[in-house]
Amino acid sequence: MEAQKNELLQKFELYGCFQCGKCTGGCPVSLKSKLNIRKLMIEVLLRENLSNMIQRDELWDCTTCKTCTLRCPRGLEPMDLLIGMRALSVEEGHIPKTIIEALEGAYKYGNPWNAAKNKRSDWANELELKVFPQGGKAANLYFVCCTAAYDTRVQNVGRSLVQCFRQIGYDFATLGNDETCCGSEIRRMGEEGLFEMLMEGNIESINKYDIRSIVTTSPHCYNTIKNDYAQDGLEVRHYTQILAEAIEGKNPFSGEMRKVITYHDPCFLGKQNGIFDEPRQILQSIPGVTFIDFDRSRENSLCCEGGGGRMWVESSDQGPRLAEIRVQDAVDMGAEILATACPFCLLTLEDAVKTTGNEEKLRVMDISEILVEVL
Amino acid sequence: MEIIVCIKRVPKTAEADLVIDKTERDIEKEGLVFDINEWDNYAVEEAILLKEKYGGTVTAISMGPEEVNETLRRALAMGADQAIRLTDPGFEGSDGYAIARVLSRAINPLAYDLVLTGVQAEDDGYGQVGPTLAELLGIRHVAIVNQIEGIENGRARVHRELEGGLDEVIDLELPAVLTIQTGINEPRYVSIIGIRKVAQKEIKVLGLQDLGMKLEEAGEPGSMTVVEKVFFPPVGEGAQMLEGTMDEISDKVIAILKEKGGVA
Repeated sequence: MEAQKNELLQKFELYGCFQCGKCTGGCPVSLKSKLNIRKLMIEVLLRENLSNMIQRDELWDCTTCKTCTLRCPRGLEPMDLLIGMRALSVEEGHIPKTIIEALEGAYKYGNPWNAAKNKRSDWANELELKVFPQGGKAANLYFVCCTAAYDTRVQNVGRSLVQCFRQIGYDFATLGNDETCCGSEIRRMGEEGLFEMLMEGNIESINKYDIRSIVTTSPHCYNTIKNDYAQDGLEVRHYTQILAEAIEGKNPFSGEMRKVITYHDPCFLGKQNGIFDEPRQILQSIPGVTFIDFDRSRENSLCCEGGGGRMWVESSDQGPRLAEIRVQDAVDMGAEILATACPFCLLTLEDAVKTTGNEEKLRVMDISEILVEVL
Repeated sequence: MEIIVCIKRVPKTAEADLVIDKTERDIEKEGLVFDINEWDNYAVEEAILLKEKYGGTVTAISMGPEEVNETLRRALAMGADQAIRLTDPGFEGSDGYAIARVLSRAINPLAYDLVLTGVQAEDDGYGQVGPTLAELLGIRHVAIVNQIEGIENGRARVHRELEGGLDEVIDLELPAVLTIQTGINEPRYVSIIGIRKVAQKEIKVLGLQDLGMKLEEAGEPGSMTVVEKVFFPPVGEGAQMLEGTMDEISDKVIAILKEKGGVA
């Protein structure tokens, strides 16, 4: 464990931390969880032995929203230290059972939902999509995402997105059943070896069909393919960028929607990749829509707690879910639709609408689903 | 404490659409995902926990072709010290009895205090290998063990769960075979890095001749049962298939439950 401790010290430059507390100050879970990222930075530095530290349940409370890293005035990477701690725990093997299931699912079936590989493209059965491995030719790869492929709620986002792409004449094909998990969450759960395996598999597919441009449903796939895979000459875009571009000039989505809409910034799209304007441009372009922003929006947006493997593990704290706070804020400011552009946000927010009893007041929708209603 | 743990590589069928193959005696395995039998995973974890508590070594044994190395490596990554793979064309078609005989020949010359197996295998579900193996080795056994309380002076105190939630506590002399029930522990995760670390570890391979066995002692000739045919259960009456979106199906289910008195 000492060698591993020294590795963490070096890799994350822990001597550089002057304990200013900006990381913890911005952490969305620190108010309710025992997890204290500033304390973690100094504890790793001072403690002789990390074995007890890596057993702590609260290590799994982090959503890897990256606020701590983005706020650090010394340019240090507290979030990656936390992932490094998870990695030690993963290597030792004593991690939450639900995390084990997700990791094993990604290894065996290519998705953390443990769904059959040969059913991956069933969501698109009646859509007659072009598929690269079946000889389909297209200028762009649509990278669907495990959650959009298998989750019965999020499947509707994929289908809506296909309609949107067709409406704007965007040429795409998918990898069909050959698509595997992008590994974003796998890496953030600390399983670096498995992440590399998944990444190599996907890069092999991308190269095999000479793909130069990718569009993703999920900000998580987007972030990891763009920043973690970081392949030269490969253009990676989130769907909101494509659609925002398409509505400039003659808007192909001309229908009207008389609704008050607010937008929840997914951390992996907004904070981590600076895509704040495109989703708002799309929503504001719809005739009849009254767009209002959250008090905490853009860089200050409140995380929904769906990232960093949190879709597969319940937090150790007893506090309110941040998604519930988010939903209540939306209801309080009079929004009728809470829009987002991420499968995880969609699921956590929709659950929160149910648990807070706001089903009659607020609808949670993906931007693509809203556009389909104004086709 | 010398522990031997017998493991099996099986196809994972929970999410798959199964097809019966041309022989009508087995299922199509092409395209299926294989992994360690769930019960055996608990047995490996229990063996490692015992080793961590009492010291000694753990040897993992499995039967089958080269792909089985993957399953044995997984056991090594979990903490097993040695791995043995039993393979021979003559082993093919072995039933539970023949498998137990091959295992017993491999285990007999080894030094051991405990032999652990899973209660049963996910694929054929016979649950025969553990107890048969104990008989062939001439040692005691306890089946469906859900707790190993302790081991002292060559005796073990183990629990098994009986019908109705009753707990039976057994004190027995070692060596013995214990067939391990799921839920006895929480099997640790095996990381890809962990598997890479044991990639070069030797897996000892033994065949019919190495075990001093004759052709008629294993495979179909050495088996007491033969699978004649596998088939899907005939479709019965009374099932109602609901169609529609997830929301529509949910509404229909709730309506049916209300109508039939399932929910108020």
